[in-house]
Amino acid sequence: MKQVIVHPERCVGCMQCMTACATAHSTSKTLIGALLEEPRPAPRIHVGAGLEDEGFPNRCRHCDPAPCQLGCLPGAIYRAKGSNTVMVDYDLCINCASCAMACPYGVIRFAEDPKAPPGKTVAVKCDNCVERQAQGKVPACVETCFAGALTFEEPSEAMKRRTGEVAASISLDAAAHRVPLSASWDLQSEMKRRQKALDQR
Amino acid sequence: MGANGNGHKKGEFSITQDAQAMLVKAERDQVETVWDRFQAQQPSCGFCETGLSCRICAMGPCRIDPFGEGPQKGVCGADADIMVARNLARMIAAGAASHSDHGRDLVETLTAVAEGKAEGYGIADPDKLQALAAEWGVEVEGKDELALAGALAYAMEEDYGMRKKALQYVTRAPAKRQEIWAGLGITPRGIDRETSEMMHRTHMGVDNNWVTILLQGLRNSLADGWGGSMIATDVSDVLFGTPQPHASQANLGVLKEDHVNIAVHGHNPVVSGTVLQSVEKEELVAAAREAGAAGINLVGLCCTGNELLMRAGVPQAGNHLMTELILVTGALDMMIADYQCIMPSLGEVAGCYHTRMISTSDKAQFPRFDHREFHPETAQATADQLVRDAIEAFKNRNPDKVNIPVEPMDQTTGFSIEAILGALGGTPEPLLDAIKDGTIRGAVGVVGCNNPKIKHDYAHVTLMRRLIENDILVVDTGCAAVASAKAGFKNAAAKEWAGPGLRKICDAVGIPPVLHLGSCVDNVRILTLLSALANALGVDISDLPVAGSAPEWYSEKAVAIGAYFVASGVTTHLGPMPPVAGSMNVVGLLTQGLEEHVGATFAVEPDPEKAAVILMKHIEAKRAALGLDSREVGEAADTAAPATPAAPVA
Repeated sequence: MKQVIVHPERCVGCMQCMTACATAHSTSKTLIGALLEEPRPAPRIHVGAGLEDEGFPNRCRHCDPAPCQLGCLPGAIYRAKGSNTVMVDYDLCINCASCAMACPYGVIRFAEDPKAPPGKTVAVKCDNCVERQAQGKVPACVETCFAGALTFEEPSEAMKRRTGEVAASISLDAAAHRVPLSASWDLQSEMKRRQKALDQR
Repeated sequence: MGANGNGHKKGEFSITQDAQAMLVKAERDQVETVWDRFQAQQPSCGFCETGLSCRICAMGPCRIDPFGEGPQKGVCGADADIMVARNLARMIAAGAASHSDHGRDLVETLTAVAEGKAEGYGIADPDKLQALAAEWGVEVEGKDELALAGALAYAMEEDYGMRKKALQYVTRAPAKRQEIWAGLGITPRGIDRETSEMMHRTHMGVDNNWVTILLQGLRNSLADGWGGSMIATDVSDVLFGTPQPHASQANLGVLKEDHVNIAVHGHNPVVSGTVLQSVEKEELVAAAREAGAAGINLVGLCCTGNELLMRAGVPQAGNHLMTELILVTGALDMMIADYQCIMPSLGEVAGCYHTRMISTSDKAQFPRFDHREFHPETAQATADQLVRDAIEAFKNRNPDKVNIPVEPMDQTTGFSIEAILGALGGTPEPLLDAIKDGTIRGAVGVVGCNNPKIKHDYAHVTLMRRLIENDILVVDTGCAAVASAKAGFKNAAAKEWAGPGLRKICDAVGIPPVLHLGSCVDNVRILTLLSALANALGVDISDLPVAGSAPEWYSEKAVAIGAYFVASGVTTHLGPMPPVAGSMNVVGLLTQGLEEHVGATFAVEPDPEKAAVILMKHIEAKRAALGLDSREVGEAADTAAPATPAAPVA
């Protein structure tokens, strides 16, 4: 089954996935429309800054077993049948935040949601864009990521590719064969690293 | 908040004692600063950082994937080269427009003076007026001073238009340089014309050759350096006086606890020059005394501070990243701003204290500022009233919130080209001799802004220190000049930091090793000086053992300055990376390709220790090419020296 796979080395930190995610979880499904809605839809993916201010798209891993599900007192968190997606039942959720405390990745937030009872704050998290997938679309964050930091594919395919990359990197003359992922991005990242290094002087 | 409260050491943000102390106070006072907001913006958008995003038209906005798998063209078909070139060119256009509009305000003031409609302004340097009139081909015969000023202003207005084939000041450049510009088709024709054409060419479907886009970028920058900025500097000298060396001070210690403290912030001396006259008026000083103050203390910030400092010795309180922190002292009663580099956050910071915030330009307003517009006809009365209001604000000052953290640093300033030549005995020969015999290896203009991406003042101070200790004369302007003054490089004792050759010259001429040439428009003084040196040697500017550097730049104006330096033949170092990495072709042209065409390139290096080596190698190579003695330059040590030099022994 296809899953969203994160490739942190390609994240350029543009945060477009966050806007696309919020829009996908709005009623209108358009950015401008979403901005006018009440409640305003919240993103389920969050881009953070690493030690060198490089971007990292932080999203739900849909763990199995899922600590959030184990920690959920009213039993609002469940795994959708026939998929690996961990979901929240907004009617059962009591906004106690036990799931957020249990989550090792900090990807569960609390907000009103168009799909929740009006005025009720609930746990919101990545639902793998079940709605879009039912329409034959890929998750919104993947669709908007032009840098290829988020892909939607069979995990076995991604793992095979990764295995190949790692194997190539330990070949005897790997350095000589190394093709940079992107000369542009390498240059930009190097300059940022040098800037950041000055902070410690 | 944020960066202040997250366990960061204050030393991560600034090397200056006053900034570090005020960052601690800002955290206590719960004031958000530029460093908090910078942290909140991380990670910044990689498409924008690399120049690979475009929102010029409504078929987009578009992005190009730097990893090569996503889209490689915008909707219109622009590839990475075109997109990056267009974005950079528009930065140059904005920078050139800013300087040139500043110059326009001065020309309009000169016109108002000529028409007798500008109370409080006059001709402060009649000799320079005469010299400029002659240079501009203005008929001098039978004209009194005001008529001459009017005729000069009229001639300058023509340079803003489309009547001319080349700007007047192009003739100041060495003949070889003028030929290079003509050969490349980048001789600037009209100040506003080149900016307009730049915007036109970067509209969808006009110029889509990334090389010719960038060439127009260079022409646009030359219209700034040899046009708008040069007019701004020269007319400022006519109206407010050509700077001469004198003593002053720098850092937040120039605020006085027992005085009414007024700071001018921004760029144009049209406002700050008038405020200076008001604070010296006896009746206003008396009013301040009645209010319980010992007097009125005017201080400068940023470039309008540099304008007053250069001409009148008004002490300099701080550069770009100090403009929030001066409010945190709780000792500033009024800030009077005109335009450029005035952070829209200032009104909110001032809300934590009693400081009155004033905007003065019809083209620049800010949240939570009182808008009190300055016009030449009423400027003096407006300035008088503002000083009265500042005295009222002084009465509201809360002594418990006041903290002036440091003692001021002494500095010598006021080195216009006229003043430098004067100190040398009226001719550049002594300076040229010192360069020829190797006593001084060369000179570097260290200019430009602050940027929270680079530890505040660290790059300016480290780079200048390395240069002067290697016998390279440093001239500086803008925020860089404030950094070096605060570090003591313009102090009488600073020559101790200079190498033996430069120290000898400092002793002989009685100058510090770092000469303050003024504000950021005054970078054109560097062009004028280099032209004089090149002409005296019969060479081009690009043959001289000189370089430029903007180690902490942030603004579009700095991009225009960097471009006119390079197009004028001065190889220029930049600290922060401009948004060009998305096109390795553009990177290649800027850092290598331009050498063949204009005899100079850009070099990017955030680390000032490494940048110093780059600049020294460049200077020694230029010396060798001129047939002068040339030294080996070692690589920068991996572990850098401490950021803050020891205090000078005064």
